[in-house]
Amino acid sequence: MAELDCDVVVLGSGPGGYSAAFRCADLGLKTVLVERYPVLGGVCLNVGCIPSKALLHTAAVMDAAKALEAHGIAFGEPKVDLGKLRAFKDKVVGKLTSGLASMAKMRKVAVLQGVGAFTGPNRLAVEGKEKTGVRFAKAIVAAGSQAAKLPFLPEDPRIVDSTDALALKAIPKKMLVVGGGIIGLEMGTVYSTLGTRLDVVEMMDGLMLGADRDLVAVWQKFNAGRFDKVMLKSKTTRAEATKEGIRVAIEGQEPKLYDAVLVSVGRVPNGRKIGAEKAGVTVDERGFIPVDSQRRTNVPHIYAIGDVAGNPMLAHKAVHEGHVAAEAAAGQKSHFDARVVPSVAYTDPEIAWVGVTEDEAKKSGVKIGVAKFPWVASGRAIANARDEGFTKLIFDAETHRLVGGGIVGTGAGDLISELALAVEMGADATDIGKTIHPHPTLGESVGMAAELFEGVCTDLPPQRKK
Amino acid sequence: MREVAVPDIGDFKDVEVIEVLVKPGDAIAAEQSLITVESDKATMEIPAPGAGVVKELRIRVGDKVSQGTPILVLEESAVTAPASAPAPAPAAPKPMPSPAAPGPAASSAEPLTVKVPDIGDFKDIEVIEVLVKAGDTVAKEQSLITLESDKATMEIPSPAAGVVQEIRIKTGDKVSEGAAILVLKASAGGVPAAAAPAAAAAPAPVVVAAVRPPVPVEPQEATHAKPHASPSVRKFARELGVDLARVKGSGPKGRILHPDVQAYVKGALAAVPAPAPAAKGGALPFNLPAWPDVDFAKFGPVEVKPLTRLQKLAGPNLHRNWVSIPHVTQFDEADITDLEAFRKTNTADTEKQGFKLTMLAFLIKACVTVLRQHPTFNCSLDRNGENLVVKKYYNIGVAVDTPDGLVVPVVRDADRKGVFDVAKELSEISKLARDKKLKPGDMQGGTFSISSLGGIGGTAFTPIINAPEVAILGVSKSALRPMWNGKEFAPRLMLPLSLSYDHRVIDGAAAARFTAYLASVLGDIRRTLL
Repeated sequence: MAELDCDVVVLGSGPGGYSAAFRCADLGLKTVLVERYPVLGGVCLNVGCIPSKALLHTAAVMDAAKALEAHGIAFGEPKVDLGKLRAFKDKVVGKLTSGLASMAKMRKVAVLQGVGAFTGPNRLAVEGKEKTGVRFAKAIVAAGSQAAKLPFLPEDPRIVDSTDALALKAIPKKMLVVGGGIIGLEMGTVYSTLGTRLDVVEMMDGLMLGADRDLVAVWQKFNAGRFDKVMLKSKTTRAEATKEGIRVAIEGQEPKLYDAVLVSVGRVPNGRKIGAEKAGVTVDERGFIPVDSQRRTNVPHIYAIGDVAGNPMLAHKAVHEGHVAAEAAAGQKSHFDARVVPSVAYTDPEIAWVGVTEDEAKKSGVKIGVAKFPWVASGRAIANARDEGFTKLIFDAETHRLVGGGIVGTGAGDLISELALAVEMGADATDIGKTIHPHPTLGESVGMAAELFEGVCTDLPPQRKK
Repeated sequence: MREVAVPDIGDFKDVEVIEVLVKPGDAIAAEQSLITVESDKATMEIPAPGAGVVKELRIRVGDKVSQGTPILVLEESAVTAPASAPAPAPAAPKPMPSPAAPGPAASSAEPLTVKVPDIGDFKDIEVIEVLVKAGDTVAKEQSLITLESDKATMEIPSPAAGVVQEIRIKTGDKVSEGAAILVLKASAGGVPAAAAPAAAAAPAPVVVAAVRPPVPVEPQEATHAKPHASPSVRKFARELGVDLARVKGSGPKGRILHPDVQAYVKGALAAVPAPAPAAKGGALPFNLPAWPDVDFAKFGPVEVKPLTRLQKLAGPNLHRNWVSIPHVTQFDEADITDLEAFRKTNTADTEKQGFKLTMLAFLIKACVTVLRQHPTFNCSLDRNGENLVVKKYYNIGVAVDTPDGLVVPVVRDADRKGVFDVAKELSEISKLARDKKLKPGDMQGGTFSISSLGGIGGTAFTPIINAPEVAILGVSKSALRPMWNGKEFAPRLMLPLSLSYDHRVIDGAAAARFTAYLASVLGDIRRTLL
């Protein structure tokens, strides 16, 4: 067996893994990047964030075109060529992954294709076309996660997870989305625009849990037309594959027939698949690898980042962690001390939130002050004919520093960054309100919400004196 | 009323109370921790047997308690205490959320129907959220419902504090000015400004949520307490090892800037650290450079193991003694050829009785003889460093090495015990020490200590004084050495002695006399009879 020597081996080439590997290389470390698939990028680039956005963008433009009827512009019914749409999506993915491969080359990061697993505290074996050993001084585990499965569901091509759904094989007439989280609702949005009728079943008592309910309510109202039925606090108990379709039993309901079932019930970290025990790395019972603020595992020369290192399972958290771990491995005093990690649902309208939510504050009893600027008062939102949203800022009641916020509306995901920056910088309502926001933009709503909190907003009816 | 006593806590007696977690008047829940006791082996918290209000405390920090010792008097509550917080943090027993208890607590004024106030030119506005429910305690100005018109969202605040008795509205209803929202039973006590039954209409609405009600809770969440510094300043502080919580910010609104971190580091380097906690008087600062911060893992595999509890307890004491007592160590040696022969002739006897007759037992007896002659070695400096406390008893501490660290049990009244008694006691306490069964009392009250490394090796060492004692005898390994007896070199068994003493109390000549006399006693053990 051939054996490679390196300073750092990175296991997994998703956004966290490649960021860590590239940062290690930039810091002068001899780096090996191990990836089980022939392309770099992991779930995010290949079967996650990027392809889903390619499709969501397409869906959003279709919906927008249709909405133009109200403005006197009619296009007629869209003709969908699935093969072409699929090709567009694949082209998007291909552009990014090939970009990654060439950047790896430019940095002299050695990419090993195959399934990597530890064989000792300083050794890793990669099973690819041939078997390769890697001897490393440090390791960064970025092994990611995979879609959780429901054990009682039969094997059937019509029962799909997000990866299968992105393959865009067909447009079912009637689809059940099992699990009302972000991933399920994003995919549901794409399919529904392409013509599928949706039902959603969710065990908990709300969709997109984690976000404040008022944000979700706006989305739900706007999207009511996509769904025939939204079943909350409901448990899927059984499914049977028949010729006519998948017959799904949901507790307390008549079994129903669907052309497809999209299972999006969360993701499971891959901590147990990497031979962690051979290296002495602790993996908890859920499959996560516990780490410290430098993303070190219990074995000090082995780091873990991204989905496998804990929630939230988000690419941008993984990238940040990848940089921290790479710098720590290079001997720098880098720590993960970001105060907040923003979350975005790329639905239509988008929902984005960051930091303390109102629900959390209510539970923990933290004293907050809230300012909510409705987009019905935003010139730009009205001009866009999309004024259903709002921008909500959440301040510390005493210091008036921003501690969190949420935005629902078109482009909310792009607007949330300003809130994240403000939280990190410790900006207060005056700082945000006194920053000139360009007019007319949706971003203006952030400044106006801050003014509202200060009682100096002139774009809304007069406020009661505080 | 009920007296709460210390329950069965296992094989412990006279354990010390190190913390009392409640005070008279506190409302406590069942299983809430009342006191913390600490034995030499463990810290444990004694939980409340039931819920109620503390009437009277029967113990203080420092008391020694055993099973059955009364802790406090509890007035048991009829209702169970809030079940939501089963195990509150020991350090912060929460007072009962005062105005929250529904029912009897809120004895009060007339129920008040809260109506939709003047909301401007709006009619038939949809209720999009009802923020309270029957039974909720609300504060004045707390938002009750959210209304949404086509122009704005507004929240209707409560005109008074109180308990919600009935909700008259639901989400989806269309309301206008004057519509009944809910019935509020205004609370009499607790919340100020509640007694305003006349004000039937709520104050004008706010267009956004007002500040959330002050829910009874622990004070602040971590995110809030964090220092006001941007990510780049936080990174900079990390690199320098600066705790930003200690840095004062000079930027707008107290923001910590890069120069603030630099100034803090400069100040810390030049600053006077806390003076040594020794005797009062002008302690000089230790102007020490920072501890080297080495990433050991960079040079090879490492494993991080926490210090044992014993090491953590002993460390600060050793450090204090080492830096605050001016130690001098006097070296000498004793000819124990005859003593060793004498010991050997008697070992068979004691082994029959089940213990070893060790050299240490003779050493203890010899030290007592010398201490009688040199009482300054058997004393302590008083707290303000102005008087010597001369002890008329001879309790000799013996350093015992255990897998967890060093302990120093004490042989009490060694002057009144024979060598066999001392030897027997030594074998008992060493076993207790190794089995971790020593009680705190077994390690207190020493007047002089002996640290014997004779069983292991070495020729001399400098033991650290076990404060507030003023001297400690170190004993190394005895060895056969050629000694000049006036005519020739004769093989003699020599025992190295290392006496560390507190130079504030003992001068060099006294120490030399002490070891010389000790050597002569060990040379002829019959001197212990003199």
